[in-house]
Amino acid sequence: MHKRFLIFLSVAAAMFFVSQAHAQLIIANPSVKASEASKGDLKDIFTGASSSLGGSHVTPVLLKSGAANDEFLAAYIGKSDAAFMASWRSLVFSGQATMPKSFDSDAAVVEYVAKTPGAIGYIGKGSPHEGTKVLAGK
Amino acid sequence: MKRILVATLALIAAATTAVRAQSLDDLNIQFHGYATEGFLYTTNNNIFTTSSSDGSPAWTEAVLNISAQPTPKLRVAIQGRYFLLGNFGNAITLDYAMADYKADDRFGVRFGKVKTPSGLFNETQDIDPSYLWSLLPQSVYPITSRNSLLSHYGGVAYGTIKLAPGFGKLEYRGWGGERVLGADDGYFVSQKESGLNLPNGLSGVTYGAALHWITPLRGLMIGASDGKDNQWNSAVTAGGGALSGTEVIKPLNTPSFFGRYEKDKLMVAGEFSRLPVNGSINFTGLPAEPIRLDDHSWYAMASYKVTDKLTAGVYDSQLVDHQAALGPARYSKDWAISGRYDFNQYLYAKAEQHFIEGTNQSYDTALNPGGLKPNTKLTILKVGVSF
Repeated sequence: MHKRFLIFLSVAAAMFFVSQAHAQLIIANPSVKASEASKGDLKDIFTGASSSLGGSHVTPVLLKSGAANDEFLAAYIGKSDAAFMASWRSLVFSGQATMPKSFDSDAAVVEYVAKTPGAIGYIGKGSPHEGTKVLAGK
Repeated sequence: MKRILVATLALIAAATTAVRAQSLDDLNIQFHGYATEGFLYTTNNNIFTTSSSDGSPAWTEAVLNISAQPTPKLRVAIQGRYFLLGNFGNAITLDYAMADYKADDRFGVRFGKVKTPSGLFNETQDIDPSYLWSLLPQSVYPITSRNSLLSHYGGVAYGTIKLAPGFGKLEYRGWGGERVLGADDGYFVSQKESGLNLPNGLSGVTYGAALHWITPLRGLMIGASDGKDNQWNSAVTAGGGALSGTEVIKPLNTPSFFGRYEKDKLMVAGEFSRLPVNGSINFTGLPAEPIRLDDHSWYAMASYKVTDKLTAGVYDSQLVDHQAALGPARYSKDWAISGRYDFNQYLYAKAEQHFIEGTNQSYDTALNPGGLKPNTKLTILKVGVSF
């Protein structure tokens, strides 16, 4: 009985920690000096409120759709895709920003981030990300 | 027109200088736009120069935005608008045409024709896709004067300063240049009806500043702005040109205090502003006709995101002209209940019900020949698409 209970607790704890871990990688061009970014930093950058991270000028890059995109928006921005895009359009139409580049796939995001100084994006955790640096959470 | 030309040339010059030896892809040229169609129905008075008591679809807007970002710190953008609301507009106007250089988060500057960053919503008051309401609170953001108040010719300096740990951030904006109240602005409706004609509208020097304190309490912003306008002068005629003279508006000071709190699906906001106007209409050989008003305006609003696609909200918007005689023309009190449904990220629909007391709105007497009733209910339906 005790053994079953311990197994149950272990499984429950494992599920809890897995659900808390982010399913995305935050990647940046190697020119970005920072090696980590807080949730607040990322929210500011990806909502257009800030364009710097650790002393570097940064430019956000988006995924157009997909699970990684939805999970990133839910985890870091707290908005649905429609609301997120509406807030960017508001910045564009009020003359405060240009819409970030967006790509169909993780590979396209990685390719753009790798070649563009200051670019910062997000991809699924298992995706290859050669030529970019991974930012740790803080 | 000359100003538009100058602004556009500044834009092109800035872009050309910066983009030498770059490909079109490097310029990150983007096209965005939106279009809306509104339907108005009122139980009593015809509102906003429409025939709304019969049901009026005379509310159409279409916007095209073109922008380029030749370098990470430099943007150039131009935005044009077709606007029709009753007898207002039915023309294409320039929202802005500007170059923006952002050195870093602490300092940036825009110049050309730029949006005026006063109050809580002034910069975004025209962007229907960005908010829940069909009509923003008319006490502070009158749609019939929107094109004039939205932007000015000149510049804006802006930035964000991080305060000491635990004190949040401070966003600042300072602006200066020239404001033009176009000849078809809502301010002139009653003057036009009394036979006055200002072919060039009103214009003059404008400047001001705004501070937004992003407080340490997550989601809470408190702000204030103050706009100042030097004396405005404009030629005015009456009696089909038989009389000519000058309309003068003495220097204006328009303070505004506002706040917004957002938490999860809830948003609450409020704003107070004051518009004291003191001026005169002067025809040669006749005594000056004084112009005096002192609008005290405020609103409080709340909205809730019921589902990912459905948002609902309510606001109370009030305006009292402390210079006006007692009676319904002295005030406007507007309760509004609003809903918005987003079919997807491009297409949405809105429905809004207003309960309006008082007649201090943009009514024209020609469309209300039986006189204005003190109370009106206004129903608005709207569809919009943006890309």
